[in-house]
Amino acid sequence: MRTAGTLAMLALLLAGTASARADAPPPDAVFDPGAPLKTLAPKVVVNSGKLEWVPFHRDLTSWPTLSHHDKRPTPRPVRATLNGPLDGDAARGRELAMRPDKGYCIACHALPGEEWPGTVGVNLAGYQQHRNADELVFQQIFDARVFNPNTVMPPYGTFGILTEQELRDLVAYLQSLE
Amino acid sequence: MGILKQALISCVFVAGVAGASDDVYREYDPLETYEPNVAGDRKHSNTYQYWMDPKNLDWQMAGNPDENWKLNWKFMDPPFNPVVHGGHFAEDRGETLYKKLNTRGRFASCLGATKGNLKGLRASYPRYRAELKRVVGLEEAIEICAKRLGHQLENGSYDNSAVSVYIASRSNGMPIRIDVSKGPMKEAWERGRKLFHTRAGRFNLACSSCHTHQVGLHLRGTVVTTPYGDVAHYPVYRTRYQLQSLHLRFAECNLDTRTQPLRPGSGAYTDLEVFLTGLTNGYPVSVPSERD
Repeated sequence: MRTAGTLAMLALLLAGTASARADAPPPDAVFDPGAPLKTLAPKVVVNSGKLEWVPFHRDLTSWPTLSHHDKRPTPRPVRATLNGPLDGDAARGRELAMRPDKGYCIACHALPGEEWPGTVGVNLAGYQQHRNADELVFQQIFDARVFNPNTVMPPYGTFGILTEQELRDLVAYLQSLE
Repeated sequence: MGILKQALISCVFVAGVAGASDDVYREYDPLETYEPNVAGDRKHSNTYQYWMDPKNLDWQMAGNPDENWKLNWKFMDPPFNPVVHGGHFAEDRGETLYKKLNTRGRFASCLGATKGNLKGLRASYPRYRAELKRVVGLEEAIEICAKRLGHQLENGSYDNSAVSVYIASRSNGMPIRIDVSKGPMKEAWERGRKLFHTRAGRFNLACSSCHTHQVGLHLRGTVVTTPYGDVAHYPVYRTRYQLQSLHLRFAECNLDTRTQPLRPGSGAYTDLEVFLTGLTNGYPVSVPSERD
């Protein structure tokens, strides 16, 4: 217990110096280092002068923030390789494309059979007609910055949002769209 | 004991890198220029024509889900919106709290009001506070001034935002007017502009990824709107969040785009506030307001 108390004091001291370790979230980020999902979200309590922070359902502490004290770099663009046969499951790929915690492609792209699609990205209905190689589609989802440094498409592979198998499933789904 | 030793070592390590390395690799959306005036939207989304006169918005556009985004959601602000909502209760509570804090006039003078008159105060924040040697937003000033009088009104808390809504209501209809052409305010505006284009989080997105380069396009069911004229109605009543200050809105934006949020009043959020308030220069303060 004493050690924990001393550590808490050290943490306070660190926060006071307004500098950050090169590999840690900055001192003005609000998170609970002991929780399984560290990120906290603000909760406004009516008729109170205190702001509460509650656990958020995603841990976002590993990526750079907007803080002036954040010394962590953006992961650089990665050129991916697609080895062996594609071996993707189009049905699983479709599910991943709709899930907000996975690809959530539908937020930006139109896909067949779904209402309220996004229009920020290109319409992906009938994607097969472009006859793009699997390797190219894989790279576009893995890290589109390789083709266009100003892309708004998240680097799903480089940032660990999707696993390699999930990327293969998405490629199989897109290549199946007639 | 092992952990303690490790913590001490990392402490020394921190001291070693403090203030160093601006050469860390970070990515940015192409840096655009903006006018520190709401009319700058004419060259941005060009929706300003539809919401420039908040008293005379087009009812038909407001009722059309394909068009209402062009009104920049101003149809939910007074004087157009006559609905009584949670923002009105917040304003009432803010008035009670303010009068209690200001019995001797010290709270008002600490906030920068001349002779206790709150008229125009909201329209001139954020501002540089010489005694703090930095720029602060109105909610941070409320927190600091309440603390000097022995009260806790934490930045982002309901009561802090309620006082802010009350103070803003004394400037209703007055155009926002901050000067970002020189000194610390200009520096904050420039830092804010750069932050607006700084990619962050697990999706590697910047504010400008959508609000500069994709305005008018759909993200699932919502339509991306312009950053111009957006701070005139804060703190705002939100059905999901009770009362939301601008900095808490930034935290929500961050969470929505998979980015770790920061504390209200942090340097980055204050710089963003200065930048966005500049983009609202010339637009009237409109509280209490609501959003979905």
